[in-house]
Amino acid sequence: MQTITNDDVDVVIVGLGWAGSIMAIELAKEGLKVRALERGPDRPPEDFAYPKPADQYAYAIKNKVFATPRDAALTVRYNTGETALPTRKWGAFAPGTGVGGSGLHWTGVLIRPTTTDLKLKTYADQAYKRGTLDPDMRIKDFPFTWEEIEPHFDKFDKICGLSGTTGNLGGQLQPGGDPFEGPRSSPYPLPALHDTLNSSLFAATAKKMGYHPFPNPSANVSQAWTNPYGAQLAPCNYCGYCSKYPCLNYSKASPQTAILDVVKRMPNFDYKVNANVIRVDLHADKKTAKGVTYIDEQQREVFQPAKIVILSSFQFANVRLMLLSGIGQPYNPLTEQGTIGRNYAFLSNGDATLFFKDKHFNPFATAGATGEMFNDISPGNFDGPSLGFIGGAKIHSSQATGAPIGTALPPGTPGWGKGWKEGMVDWYGRSMKIGITTTCMSYRGHYLDLDPNYKDPWGQPLLRMTFDWRQNELKLQRHLRDIVLGIAKELKPDAMSENFLGLDSHWDITKYVSTHNVGGAIMGTSPRDSALNRYLQSWDVHNVFVPGGNAFPQNFQANPTATIGAITLFAAEAIKNQYLKNPGPLVRV
Amino acid sequence: MSTDKVNLSRRTILMATAAAIPLVSLSPHRARAEGLEGVELHRYQPVFFSPAEWQFVMAACDRLIPAEGKGPGALETNVPVFIDQQLHAGLGDDVYMQGPHKADAAPTLGFQHDHTPQQMYRIGIKLTQQHSQQAHGKPFEQLAPADKDALLTALQKNGISFADLGEPTLKPSQFFGQFLGDAKNGYLADPMYGGNKDMKAWVAIGFPGARAAYTEWVDAHDVKYPLGPVSLSGKRA
Amino acid sequence: MSDVMKTLKHFLGAAAIALAAAPALAAAATTAPAETLAQRGAYLARAGDCIACHSAPGKPAFAGGLAIDSGHGIIYSTNITPDKQHGIGKYTEQQFADAVRKGVRADGTHLYPAMPYTSYAKVSDQDIKALYAYFQGGVKPAAYAPPASQMSFPFNLRWGMAFWNYFFADDKPFKAQPGWSAQVRNGAYLVEGLGHCSSCHTPRGFAMNEKAGDSSSPKFLAGGELNDWPVPSLRGMPHWSQAAIVDYLQTGRNKNSAVAGEMTAVVEHSTSHLSQGDLNDIAAYLKALPPALARGAAVKAQGHDATVKKLSAAVGLTLGERLYLDNCAACHFVTGKGATRVFPELDGATVVNAENPTALLHVMLAGARTPSTDKAPSVLVMPGFGKRLSDGEAAALATFVRQGWGNTAAAVSEKDVAKVRAKLEAK
Repeated sequence: MQTITNDDVDVVIVGLGWAGSIMAIELAKEGLKVRALERGPDRPPEDFAYPKPADQYAYAIKNKVFATPRDAALTVRYNTGETALPTRKWGAFAPGTGVGGSGLHWTGVLIRPTTTDLKLKTYADQAYKRGTLDPDMRIKDFPFTWEEIEPHFDKFDKICGLSGTTGNLGGQLQPGGDPFEGPRSSPYPLPALHDTLNSSLFAATAKKMGYHPFPNPSANVSQAWTNPYGAQLAPCNYCGYCSKYPCLNYSKASPQTAILDVVKRMPNFDYKVNANVIRVDLHADKKTAKGVTYIDEQQREVFQPAKIVILSSFQFANVRLMLLSGIGQPYNPLTEQGTIGRNYAFLSNGDATLFFKDKHFNPFATAGATGEMFNDISPGNFDGPSLGFIGGAKIHSSQATGAPIGTALPPGTPGWGKGWKEGMVDWYGRSMKIGITTTCMSYRGHYLDLDPNYKDPWGQPLLRMTFDWRQNELKLQRHLRDIVLGIAKELKPDAMSENFLGLDSHWDITKYVSTHNVGGAIMGTSPRDSALNRYLQSWDVHNVFVPGGNAFPQNFQANPTATIGAITLFAAEAIKNQYLKNPGPLVRV
Repeated sequence: MSTDKVNLSRRTILMATAAAIPLVSLSPHRARAEGLEGVELHRYQPVFFSPAEWQFVMAACDRLIPAEGKGPGALETNVPVFIDQQLHAGLGDDVYMQGPHKADAAPTLGFQHDHTPQQMYRIGIKLTQQHSQQAHGKPFEQLAPADKDALLTALQKNGISFADLGEPTLKPSQFFGQFLGDAKNGYLADPMYGGNKDMKAWVAIGFPGARAAYTEWVDAHDVKYPLGPVSLSGKRA
Repeated sequence: MSDVMKTLKHFLGAAAIALAAAPALAAAATTAPAETLAQRGAYLARAGDCIACHSAPGKPAFAGGLAIDSGHGIIYSTNITPDKQHGIGKYTEQQFADAVRKGVRADGTHLYPAMPYTSYAKVSDQDIKALYAYFQGGVKPAAYAPPASQMSFPFNLRWGMAFWNYFFADDKPFKAQPGWSAQVRNGAYLVEGLGHCSSCHTPRGFAMNEKAGDSSSPKFLAGGELNDWPVPSLRGMPHWSQAAIVDYLQTGRNKNSAVAGEMTAVVEHSTSHLSQGDLNDIAAYLKALPPALARGAAVKAQGHDATVKKLSAAVGLTLGERLYLDNCAACHFVTGKGATRVFPELDGATVVNAENPTALLHVMLAGARTPSTDKAPSVLVMPGFGKRLSDGEAAALATFVRQGWGNTAAAVSEKDVAKVRAKLEAK
């Protein structure tokens, strides 16, 4: 079959989610000819006009706007040497697809890591005695300072209409916000979302106990907002269909609401959907890419020539494309040679569900990011070293949805029959959760590579993930459990159930955690142990940039989107101001 | 102000601009199509299940979410219609089904067997009926309620063996799990999918459905929400 | 120099050139008038919205062929590209001026007043010159022959237009009214002339003639009905500030309202391309016109607080109130105030309070969307609720909206809804 060749472009962007959309608008504004290739379908906002998204079965059970495992599965194993098995159904994580990617349907918690989180290796070396931590841990510092990255966090906050309470403005602590946050140059653009009953109960108790709760920083905006690109967002109406759903109200910051209507007006930008990129094509010397090859809607192979290639197709797919295309050396955990696939990390969660037979929580009246949290248990802000682990967690009471399928019922309620039915009548709307979202370190033996046994519908090997919980994360969970149960006890629920990892827990891929998979193509200061430099530029192929969660050397407790937005903006600046004038490696070692 | 009315029955000479506002296709007379919402269970002809299988499905749904006690049962809410429609529409076609399939994988590594939901129901119903005949001399739907519950529990806990009945890989608990999940989905989903008839399940638990507008309610802490649900199609309860 | 670098440098250079020169049909550029005569003409053509009628989907720009249903047959717009055979390539400037201002073709035949020459009569010689330069030199010639118009008897006798023109056409040039500031004068010039706003916003007489030709008459821009759609008066615009008028024309939205109906395309193709100064002048002019008499209230207002209280409590609701919570409150909220520049307010809105409920019902059933403009790129879509509401429900809901908060309009009947729905389905 003949390969079709498209017209030449300056920049080809693989994957039109958050990272791809940021790159698209920043580079198109510079006058470059930009084309985005999106594997999935188009997702125009009118497809999600009120009240269509108010449909739990379609969006949250059948995962209507997600990738399917049929097309996008990975394989998973706990250790090297085992046979990895496919993720035949989604469980612990569920990647998106289509224009907007997961940015279309994310929960909308937009929160920065702390200054310590960005320099975790430095912190670990200072705070922990030699030999205390697992020798297989491979923590690294992010390769930029807070001062360098902060303006980009700030810009992304404004792109998203971040709504919340400022904690640290230019070094001055502000009441009601997070006292542990790094200094901001601007206050939050918009005020916080309103508390629901659960979060106000939680915050009051947490405060009494000496913690410092603040409203979940939210990209579901609290008021009408016009962002720096001129795009408009509408005030959230607490519709209760947020996490996993496209927003029916223009209230959730997404590529659609925040960027795409603006960039689509530019004649030098276009995009193709149902275009599955199967590899990046390199020149013979493998030092630069000449473009990408994709399979189009009619199943034809098409070559898209380009001068710059942006891989922004989500952490998994970015790493997989690098492996399939021969960009950099695949990582070998035994020799620790190679950089593509190393430092893969995930995160864990856990919670206690508190039941109150007489309270009305009205869980359906909520936004995705509704809730209160505290960061007191974050690295550097509590005595982790004496407890024998490194890491921490957001501790929060959130209420992301109140849709009824999957309602938690008190322990002892039968799973079916009259008991279940009456349990639903008695207990729907009578419970709240106190939860944790933890850090996750990276380890020598946790990595990504290509699976030898299983393939995707296009005949290419699936990505293989080798990962499990380690004692560090499990000890962390036990500690957090004590804190959560302590708060729960103060609230005196009528019944309670809990869900935390035990010291002998394996990673259970059937239970949803979050799609905050990170690492695999990390940024660093050296090509010896990282895939990308501080500008997300491949050390090996200098016209390939890889923005995404793949760049994180380990996972912090903050949701990753804010950081992904910031590092992408940082990289876009470097492309505009440095790379275009002088194409080549931007960082010399 | 006096509005001078000149009745131009067709588009006036200046209504010539190219762009028009998007038009919704409106069905004449009825603003809302009934679709699956108007189905009456006793008149419904299943499209996936055979008549014999349908008997089992109705009877099993009637025990999974029974009529007795607070709240409506599965039959009152047309849950079997939902399941029939979903299976017919290709439920499970998003699953990664390429082999090899490892039959005895650790449960924490997730669903690994090679049956589609459609196959699970076909095999599961057949073998459950086979067991019912062997153990009780009657099909499931003719058993006393307590015996039905016991058989369902046995499926749930692998108290009976499909392997003994000639099925090498599908476990009863897997079939039961699929069935129960589908039943609960049908009970609580929007009525447009065929279950949750007239939003009765939502009314019983106090869920407002597809209203999706609570700006003035988010600050009303610990106050009972008084308004019944609305469905995606706009029906009220 | 590496290949990549060479090509990047080349491309950056090309991009810079491409950005500097405004192409003939630039979609952007809303700042100061352009420098060459043809560029000035391009800008004026935006003001006149020539593209709205003289371009048809799938055909080259300005090559005509758009079918315009006049009520007495189909008029097809003409090719006004500089093509010498099918367009106006052979027109002298005088012939161009006569077509635009007098409605007379180069061969002497009369144009139908689908071409708003009665408004364009006000366009100055200087501006005609610029428009001529644009249509001769700035537009690409297109060798396309649009179909001939097919009017029914006796309207197919174009010489009859001479009589119509004698009685009804006002070909007097633009005249400033005494007491106008320079700003108001410029605004009036734009509105009376190229803007041809009066084609829709001035009431018409029995022969479809506009009842007022210029600002000297109190009927000018006093509103009326267009194909059953209530067209608001533009005189004085007491509910909107000057900034709000500018915002609306520039972006299709302002803090009170969002565009719907025919004005959507006008904003998208014409007014959003005008300069800030010209839009300010238009707004100043409209504010300066003495308002038409306000219509009396059909009912007593329920009051803002009472409506908010009832909807918030959500107990003992009427059908209309219940439907409001089930369909509208998500965006327009229980306050009826929407959200600034994103969701229009219903409390106090002109379209809600208009005596004729057609526009309101149309929007309820079929929805509306803001155009994407330079200053406000977001396309904000209101879905149609025609599928979700029966005729009776739509009537109850519309009645509630028209009588809730401070609104004082008459009730709406099921028949009113059926009529609008039938029209939508016929399209």
